[in-house]
Amino acid sequence: MKKYFNITFILAGIFLLSSCSDFLDIDSKEKIEAEDSEENYTPEQFVNGIYGMFTDWDYAFSFLAVTEIISDNADKGSSPSDSGADKNLFDELTFTSTAGSLSAMWSRWYKTIGRATQAIEYAESYGLTDEAYKNRLIGESKFLRAVCYFWLVRGWGDVTLQHIDNTNRASKEEVYAFIEQDLTEAMQVLPASYNSANLGRATKGAAHGLLSKVYLYQGKWQQAYDAATAVINSSEYNYSLLDDYSMIWRVEGENSSESLFEIQARGESIAHGVQQYSQTQGARGTTGWGWGFNTPSENLLTAFNDEGDEIRRDATIIFRNSTLYDGYVVGNTENPMYNYKAYSSANKGADDTDKNIRYLRLGEIYLIQAEAANELGRTSEALAALNTIRDRVNLPAVRTTDQAELRRAVWKERRLELAFEHDRWFDLVRTGQAREAMAADNKTFVIGKHELFPIPNQQLIDTPEMTQNPNW
Amino acid sequence: MKLKIATVISFLFCSILLSAQQITVSGTVKEGATGEPAIGVTVLVKGTSNGTVTDMDGNYSLPNVPNDATLVFSYIGMQTLEEPVNGRTTINVTLSEDVQALEEVVVIGYGTARKIDLTGSIASVGEDIISRQPALNPLQSAQGKISGVNIVNNDAPGSAPTVVIRGLGTALGGRDPLYIVDGFPVTDIRNISASDIVSMDVLKDAASASIYGVRAANGVILITTKKGQSGKPKVGVESYVGVKNILNKVQMANAQQYIEHYNQNQSMLATPIQLQNASSQPYNTDWYDELIRPGVVTNNLVSVTGGGENVRYYVSYNYYDEDGLLDNQNYRRSTIRNNNEYSFFDNRLKLNQTLNLSFSNEVKKPFGAFNEAYRQSPLVPVHYNNGKWGRPFVNTTTGIVNYEGAPGDVIGSLNSIGNPVYNVAQNNERESVITLQGGFEGEFKITDFLKVNSRFGGTKYYNKNRQFSDIKDGWLSADPARTEAEFLALKEANPTVTSYAVNSLRLKDIETFRWTWEGFATFNKSFNRHNVEAVLGLSREKYGIGYESTLRGYEVPQKPQYWNLSMVSGDYETEVAQFGYTPTAIASYFGRLQYNFDHRYYISAVLRRDGASTFKQNKDYWGTFPSVGLGWTISQEEFMNDVAFIDHLKLKGTWGELGNHNIPLNVSQILTDPGSANMNYVFGAEQNLVYGARFGTPAMDLSWEVTREWGFGVDYTFMNQRLSGSLDYYNKTNTNAILLINPVLNSTFEGQFYDHGAKVRNAGIEFSIGWSDQLANGLTYEIGANYSYNKNQVLEVRDTYNGAIGGSLADGQISKRLQDGQPLYAWWMFEADGVWQTQEEIDNANAVYGTAQPGQLKYKDQNGDGLIDDRDKIYLGSYLPSSNYAVHLNLEYKNFDFGIDGYGVAGNKVYNGLKYGRINGGENIAYETYRNRWTGAGSTNIHPGPNRAPIASSYYLESGAFFRINNITLGYTFNDLVAQGTSLRLYTTAQNPFMFTKYSGFTPEISSDGNPSLTPGIELSAYPTTRNFLFGINLQF
Repeated sequence: MKKYFNITFILAGIFLLSSCSDFLDIDSKEKIEAEDSEENYTPEQFVNGIYGMFTDWDYAFSFLAVTEIISDNADKGSSPSDSGADKNLFDELTFTSTAGSLSAMWSRWYKTIGRATQAIEYAESYGLTDEAYKNRLIGESKFLRAVCYFWLVRGWGDVTLQHIDNTNRASKEEVYAFIEQDLTEAMQVLPASYNSANLGRATKGAAHGLLSKVYLYQGKWQQAYDAATAVINSSEYNYSLLDDYSMIWRVEGENSSESLFEIQARGESIAHGVQQYSQTQGARGTTGWGWGFNTPSENLLTAFNDEGDEIRRDATIIFRNSTLYDGYVVGNTENPMYNYKAYSSANKGADDTDKNIRYLRLGEIYLIQAEAANELGRTSEALAALNTIRDRVNLPAVRTTDQAELRRAVWKERRLELAFEHDRWFDLVRTGQAREAMAADNKTFVIGKHELFPIPNQQLIDTPEMTQNPNW
Repeated sequence: MKLKIATVISFLFCSILLSAQQITVSGTVKEGATGEPAIGVTVLVKGTSNGTVTDMDGNYSLPNVPNDATLVFSYIGMQTLEEPVNGRTTINVTLSEDVQALEEVVVIGYGTARKIDLTGSIASVGEDIISRQPALNPLQSAQGKISGVNIVNNDAPGSAPTVVIRGLGTALGGRDPLYIVDGFPVTDIRNISASDIVSMDVLKDAASASIYGVRAANGVILITTKKGQSGKPKVGVESYVGVKNILNKVQMANAQQYIEHYNQNQSMLATPIQLQNASSQPYNTDWYDELIRPGVVTNNLVSVTGGGENVRYYVSYNYYDEDGLLDNQNYRRSTIRNNNEYSFFDNRLKLNQTLNLSFSNEVKKPFGAFNEAYRQSPLVPVHYNNGKWGRPFVNTTTGIVNYEGAPGDVIGSLNSIGNPVYNVAQNNERESVITLQGGFEGEFKITDFLKVNSRFGGTKYYNKNRQFSDIKDGWLSADPARTEAEFLALKEANPTVTSYAVNSLRLKDIETFRWTWEGFATFNKSFNRHNVEAVLGLSREKYGIGYESTLRGYEVPQKPQYWNLSMVSGDYETEVAQFGYTPTAIASYFGRLQYNFDHRYYISAVLRRDGASTFKQNKDYWGTFPSVGLGWTISQEEFMNDVAFIDHLKLKGTWGELGNHNIPLNVSQILTDPGSANMNYVFGAEQNLVYGARFGTPAMDLSWEVTREWGFGVDYTFMNQRLSGSLDYYNKTNTNAILLINPVLNSTFEGQFYDHGAKVRNAGIEFSIGWSDQLANGLTYEIGANYSYNKNQVLEVRDTYNGAIGGSLADGQISKRLQDGQPLYAWWMFEADGVWQTQEEIDNANAVYGTAQPGQLKYKDQNGDGLIDDRDKIYLGSYLPSSNYAVHLNLEYKNFDFGIDGYGVAGNKVYNGLKYGRINGGENIAYETYRNRWTGAGSTNIHPGPNRAPIASSYYLESGAFFRINNITLGYTFNDLVAQGTSLRLYTTAQNPFMFTKYSGFTPEISSDGNPSLTPGIELSAYPTTRNFLFGINLQF
C-alpha cells in the first residue's frame, strides 16, 4: 500500500512543481522574428526591398490601366470577353471608385512609401559608421518615395502624407513640397554613378531629372528649365541621347547613356523582373506569347502616320503578321497591334522577363527643357531642344516661333516620343488636352471630374472622414 | 474457400431434411420484476418463421416445433431468452428486464459514463453503424447519423470528409474537431482502419467538450479502438469489393449543339468564325467518357482476438485499395493494429498498449481535369489521327476543327482549355505516407474508489511525395505542329531557362512527431443515494516537431528507376528548400466533478487550464475553461411512477467555455524570400539578384478564440423503450473570432494581419427520434430520423474589419465577403436582373455594367446611382446549409437484414462555377445551357446568350439542397455454420444510389478544404459524388 501512496505523491509533486513557462516558450523556426532583425538584416536589404516593390505584379496589370489603357494611346486589347477584371472600364472611361486597378496602385504606392520610410528609419538607427554609405541609402529611399508620391499627386491631387496622417488629405502643394524636399535631399547625398555591381541604383542625376519633371507638372517653368538644363549639360552625369531610337527599349539599350532611371529586370535564371510585364502585354493568339493587354490604339497609329514618324512608330508598335527585330515572326495574332516597348526577345511570355522599364530618360528631359523654355519665352532654346529629339528620328525641324503653336508641338512630341512610357494620361490632364483627346477617342471626359481619380471606395470605408474627389 | 462455403450450405439443407419429430409447445411467460403475465412476447422457433405471441394472460401455444429445437422469447425492453425444447411440451419462462439500452456507456474523455447520466450532449456511433456503411474513413460512414454534426463527404480516394459540429464558428482558426484516439490527440484519422473502431463519441456541447479546453471549440471526437476479448481466439474476416461511378452526370451539349452555340456567339463579333456542321467535322469526343472509368474498391481485413485472465489481445491487418475515376488514380493503404491488455494483482494494475502502423501509397491525378472535360469542345479529339494529342485548334478559314489546313489558312483556337486526358496521363505524382502511432497506459486501482492512470503516446509521420514533369512532352503536346527539333533549338538558345529543360523532378519530404503524456486520478464512490465521481489530472503535449524539405532538379533520365537527384544533367541549378516547423507545446491541468442524487438530480462541473506555446507573442500562455451541467431525470421522481409509458425522461442544461488555440502564426516578422518576390531586385551590369527584406505588418496580440455556449435539452425513452430520442437547443458564440485584415490602403503596412475582430454565432436545434419494435412473426424493425437546424451569423465586426473578400473564381472575380450580420463569408455578387434584349434597350438604360451586348445579363443597380459597381453587390446567402436531416430504416427478419439510409441538407447555395466561366463561345456547355440560352430579342429574359460576360452574379448561384439515399444494404447471415458461435454474413450495398437535387452541376456537396474564404460551395474542379455498389462478406469463427 505504501507504494501506491508514493505514486500519488509523485503525481502531486508534478502537479505542484512543474514550471511550464519554459516548456511553452518555443522559438519560431520558420520566420525570423523582428526582434532578431539586427543580427540578420542590413539596412541595404530594406532599401533593396523598396526597389523590389517596383517589380510587383501590379505594375504589369493595374498600372497599365491607370496610365495607358485609360488614355488615347492604348486600348484594353486581349479578347473582347476578357475584361482583365476592370481594364475595359478604364478603356471606356467608365470606371468608378470601386475599380480594383485604382485601389491596387493607390495602395501599392503607399506601401512603397511605407517601405521607404521604414528603411530610412532603420538605416538611421542601425549604427552604420560609414556616413556616406548611410546617407546614400537614405537618399535612395527618398528618391523612391518621391517617385511614388509623384504618381499619387498626379493621380489624385490632394493626398494623405503617410508620415503625418492617414485620413486628412494634404493639399497638392504640400505634397509637391514634400516631393521636392525628398528629391533635393536625395540629390545632395546620392552619387552621380555607381560601381558596376550597384548599377541601377538611384543616382544624383535621376533625382535631378525627376525634380525637373516635378517642376514641370507644377508649371514652375523657371525651376523646370534650370533643372532640365543642368541635367542635360552636366559633365558629372554625362548623359547623352542614343543615336538609334529603336534601341532604347531593347536589351542593348538598358542602362544606356540616355537613361536616368530604370526598373531593373533579369529574365534568365535566377530570374527576377517586373512580374509578368512582358506577358500581360505579349501578343495573344496561337502564334502569340502573352495575354495581349494594353494594345496601341488606332488613334496613336494615326498620330504616328500623320507625322510621318516611321522610326518611332515601328519601335513602339508590333504589327500583326510582321517580323520582329530578332527575326521572330509574329503571325496571325488576335489583336492587330501590341506594345513593342514591353517586348522581351529572350523571355517573351515568361513570368520574369529581362525588360527594364525606362522610368526616366534624357529624351524626356530635352522635352521638359523645350516646354519650359517656351513658356519662359526662350523660343530658340525650346526649338533647339525639341529639334534634337526630332532630328534623331529623321523628322524635319519645327520652326515656329509662335508660343502656342510651339507648345502644341512639344506636347505632340511628348506623345510620340514617350508613347507607352506610362505618362500619357497625366500629360493629357496636365496640359488640358484630355477632354478633346478623349472625344477624339470616342470617350467622354467630364470636366471637373476626370482630372482626378476617385479615392478608392475601400479607402473611404476604412477612413470614412476622408473626402472624395469632386463629382465621383 | 468457395468449395467450403458450398459444402456448408449443402450440409445445412441436409440437416433441415433430416429434422426430427414435431410437437406442440405451450406455456406462460411472466415478467421477472413484477411476476405479472407478460403480454405480447414473441415466441419463435429459432432459425424459422414459425412463431406466435403471448396473450393477455401471458399464455402461448406453438405447434409444429421440432423436439430438438430452441425457442426464442423476446420482447422489447426485456432480455431475450433462448430455451432448448428437449422434447418438452410445456415451457414456462420468466423474462428479466433489459436495462442494457439504458446502460449504454459513452466515452467522455478521461473516463466513461452511462449515457443516461450525462448532462451534456454526447452522440455515439458504434461499430454496427460503421460496418454497415463501409468507407475508408469512419467519419464518412457517420454522415447523417448524428444530429448537429455536419459531415461533408468527398469521394476522392484517400480524402477526408469535412466535419463541422454545431456550425462553423471560426473564419481562420483551425476548423477541425479535436480527434482523440484511445486517449491521445491526433491530427488525422486516415491511418486508422474503420474496422478497428469500436465507437466514435462526439462531444457536441461545451460542458462535455470543455474537458479538452483550449482545443475543444470545434467539438471533440473520441475514437476507441477494439480491445482484446478473453476467451478462445476469435477470427474475423471482412471483405468487400465495390464499383464506383459518377452519381450525377451532367448532360453536355453534343457536337452539333456546340457548333450552333459557338456560331451564334461568333456572329456577335466583328470578324466571326463559323464552324461547319458536325457531319463535316473530323472528330467528335465525349470528354467524360474518355476521362472517366469506373473506380474499383476492395477492402480485406483479418482480425484475431482472444486471451486469458491476465493478457488479452487484438491483432488486425487491413488492406484497402481504391482506384479512382481517373486513369491510374489509386489509393492503397495497409494498416496493422495490435492492442494488448495486461492485468496484474487481481486486476489492480492494468496495462494497455495500442500500436497502429499504417502505410499508404497514392497516385494523384489533377482534379482540374473534371473542369476541363466540362469545358473542352466535343470537336477536339483526344488524339489526332496521327497520334498527337488533341488541342482546341481550329482552321478559321474552313471552319473545320483541326490544326492543319491548306497554305494560307488561318489556324486559331476555340478556347484555352487543355486536353484533360493528356493532363491526367502526364501527371506523374506519387505520395507515400507512413504513420506509426501507439500508446501505453497504466491504470492502478489504489482502493476500490480511487484509481490513477498514466499514459504516454506518440505519432510519427513520414510523408514522401515525388513529382515528375516531362517538360518537353508538355511543350510538344501543346501544339501538334511542334517538333522535337524546335524544342531543342529553344533549349539551345535559352540554356539556363528551366522551362526548356527536358524534365524536372520534385521530391518533397515531411517528417513530424507528436507526443502526449497524461496522468489523472479518478475518485468514484456512492454512499446512500449520493453518487460522486471526480477526476483530477494533468497533461503535457508537444506536436508539430519536424521539418519539411523540397528538392527540385532538372533533367533526370526518363525511366522512373533513375529518378534520383544525383542523376540530374547538371545544366541547371538544383533547388533546395528546407525548413523546420515551429512545434506547439501544450501544458494542461484539468478536473471534473460529477455528482448525482439518486440518479435524479445531476450536477457536473469541469475546469481545464491550458497553456499553449502559440501565444508566445504576448507571453500570455494560459487560459481557463470552465463549464457546468445540470440534469433532472423526471422519470426517477416518485410522482412519475404511475406514468407507465415513460421509461426515461431527463432535462439537461449546460454552459461552458471552450478555446481554439489553432490560430494563425502571429509573430512580428521581417520578410524575405529566396525567389522572385517583390522585395528582391537585380542590380549591376550583370543584373545579379540581390535579396531584400521588408517589415511585416506588426503582429497584434492574438489570443485563443473563446467560444461560449449554453444549451438545454431533453432526452426521452417511452413505451417500453420503443420510442426514444432527444431534443436540444444550443447557442454557441465565438466571442473573439480572428479575422484576416487588410491594412488601411494608404497605411505603411502592406501585409494582411490577423486580429480578433468579430463574433461568430451558431445557434440551432437538434432533434432525433427513433422507434423500434418486434412483430409477432419475428420481424424486428427500427425507424429513425434526425433533424438539425443551425443559424450561422457574424456579429459585432470591428469598424474597418468588415468586408474581407473571398471565394475567388480564379479569374479575378470574387464571390464571397465577410460582413456583419451575414453568415461567415456569405455570397456577395451582382443580382442578375434579366437579359439585355436589344442594343436600344442598353443605350436607353439607366445603369449598365461596362459595355454590354444584347444577350448578356443585366445587373440590378441596387443603390440607384446610375452605375453598376461593387456597391451594387448584395448578400445572397451562404454555402453553409442551415438544415441537415436524415432518416433510416432497418429491418431484421430471420437471418435477413435490410437497411436504408437517407441524408439531406437544405438552406445552402452553391455557385455553379462550371456553368460560369470565361466563356467565349469556344468552351462546351451543358445541354441545359444550350437549350435555355437567349437566341434573340424576346427569346428569354432569364438565361444569357452564348456571349455572356464572366461576371459573378446571382444567375450562377443555385440551391444546394439535396436529399440522397446514402445506403441500401441487404444481408443474410448463416449462424453456427460449422461450429457453435461461427457466423457468415453476406451482404450487398448500394451507396449513394439516388440523389434528388435541383442543382445543375455534378455535386452540390463541395467542401474543398473547408476554409470558408476559399472555394467551399463553388464547383470548379470538385471530385464528383460517386455511386458505389459493394458486395461483401463478414466471417467470424
